[in-house]
Amino acid sequence: MSDPATIIAGLLTLAILSFLYRDNPIYKMAESLLIGVSIGYTLVIVWTSTLMDLLFKPLFSDGQYALMLPLVLGLLMFGRFLAKTSSLSRIPIAVMIGSGAGVAIPVMLEARTLKQMSATVTPLVIESGFPDLSAIVVIAGVLTTLSYFYFSREHKGTLGKSAKIGTYFLMIFFGATFGYTVMSRMSTFIGRMEFLLTEFLHLSG
Amino acid sequence: MKNIETRHWTFLGLFVCIGLVMLIDVKLDIPVSAQTRKMFDFIDSLPAGSVLMVSFDHEASSLPEIRPIGLVILRHAFAKGHRLIGVALLAEGTVIGYRLMQKTAAEYGREYGQDYVYLGFKPQYIAAILSMGESIPRTFPQDYLGRPYEQFDLLRDVDNYDDVAAVISVTDGSLTTHWMEYGGARYGVRVLSGMTAAMVTTFDPYVASGQMHSLVAGLRGAAEYERLINREVGGERGMLAQTTAHLYVIALVLLGNLIYFRSRRKRKSA
Repeated sequence: MSDPATIIAGLLTLAILSFLYRDNPIYKMAESLLIGVSIGYTLVIVWTSTLMDLLFKPLFSDGQYALMLPLVLGLLMFGRFLAKTSSLSRIPIAVMIGSGAGVAIPVMLEARTLKQMSATVTPLVIESGFPDLSAIVVIAGVLTTLSYFYFSREHKGTLGKSAKIGTYFLMIFFGATFGYTVMSRMSTFIGRMEFLLTEFLHLSG
Repeated sequence: MKNIETRHWTFLGLFVCIGLVMLIDVKLDIPVSAQTRKMFDFIDSLPAGSVLMVSFDHEASSLPEIRPIGLVILRHAFAKGHRLIGVALLAEGTVIGYRLMQKTAAEYGREYGQDYVYLGFKPQYIAAILSMGESIPRTFPQDYLGRPYEQFDLLRDVDNYDDVAAVISVTDGSLTTHWMEYGGARYGVRVLSGMTAAMVTTFDPYVASGQMHSLVAGLRGAAEYERLINREVGGERGMLAQTTAHLYVIALVLLGNLIYFRSRRKRKSA
């Protein structure tokens, strides 16, 4: 006999899967429950780990009065709910965007652009004198794909051919991504099937 | 029966295929990929007692795929005698990570506080990653259950990423990118990842450039890892179902094309 939690989880899984037949009240109930529980859980976690631990306790119990600044900025966000005070919310948004961009731009430039670029530029010939096919494909893929996104000139002649090859590389990427996504979704379904067959129905070991 | 459409038969076929396969106890011979081997070798080669940070950066919806990956990594790390610090940068991953660590630690007789500690969730993941680079105790003054950081033997010598051998981000999204950008590029911590298959094409370029050390991806990665550690967590079993599902999808694609070309030919000849 399964424990109550497993029975509830099993019934809810079946309720969600019932959507595959058609939209129905049981599915809607399970969906609403999922949304409600997710939001409730996140609210509790955010309340305890953010508002209590990082703001209210240090501010009111430990006397860290510098935290008044983020508290006020946070409260200004609620100004959006009234037309008269909505402009006040721009202040915390400006602080967030400004500080966020300041932190992110140098790091992203380093990690996403410079390091990735340097990894692209590798020797095209290996030590034994043979061409490194992998490096050649990478450099060809990068250059032709970039040429596809070059819109300052019409895609004709050499640029047109290069852009065309670039689209093939893009299609291979999209295809691989789609394939992996199908694999991922199947894994999720298999995981639930395994739960239903083993823990819920006890049909399989 | 009049409400039954083609898609219903398609779904039913998938149910039957996967259901039947899961009732059969057959395991596929899965070759281990270089990526999975690399992560295994890294964890295996660390001296016993090394500190690893495992970050549960995923939502509850990806649990069926994430769970086997998390389990194999945790089991390997505990089996090798490494000490683990668990964190979560997405709220939904918090309790999942805690339970997975508790479960695997119990299997290997590891003690909370000595061999592993769970610090819990911290909001604003970029700020959290940056803050841990400066000081982990300042970022997490308490563990998940509210006990002070300095109370735990394991954490006494751990101040920031310099004291951590690597961060393993168990993820279903792009959060590992931030570990690489802020933890890796800025503080030099080694980043590894266990991720859903859907994320592989996003992170492969980072592995190629060396910004990510290695990755274990999807059910297949978990199955490969299972083979390496000789412990079953459902990955290998799931791979037969996965392969059957893929063959079923391929068969449907071929069938769909066949029907399309036949009907086109009929239209042309009419």
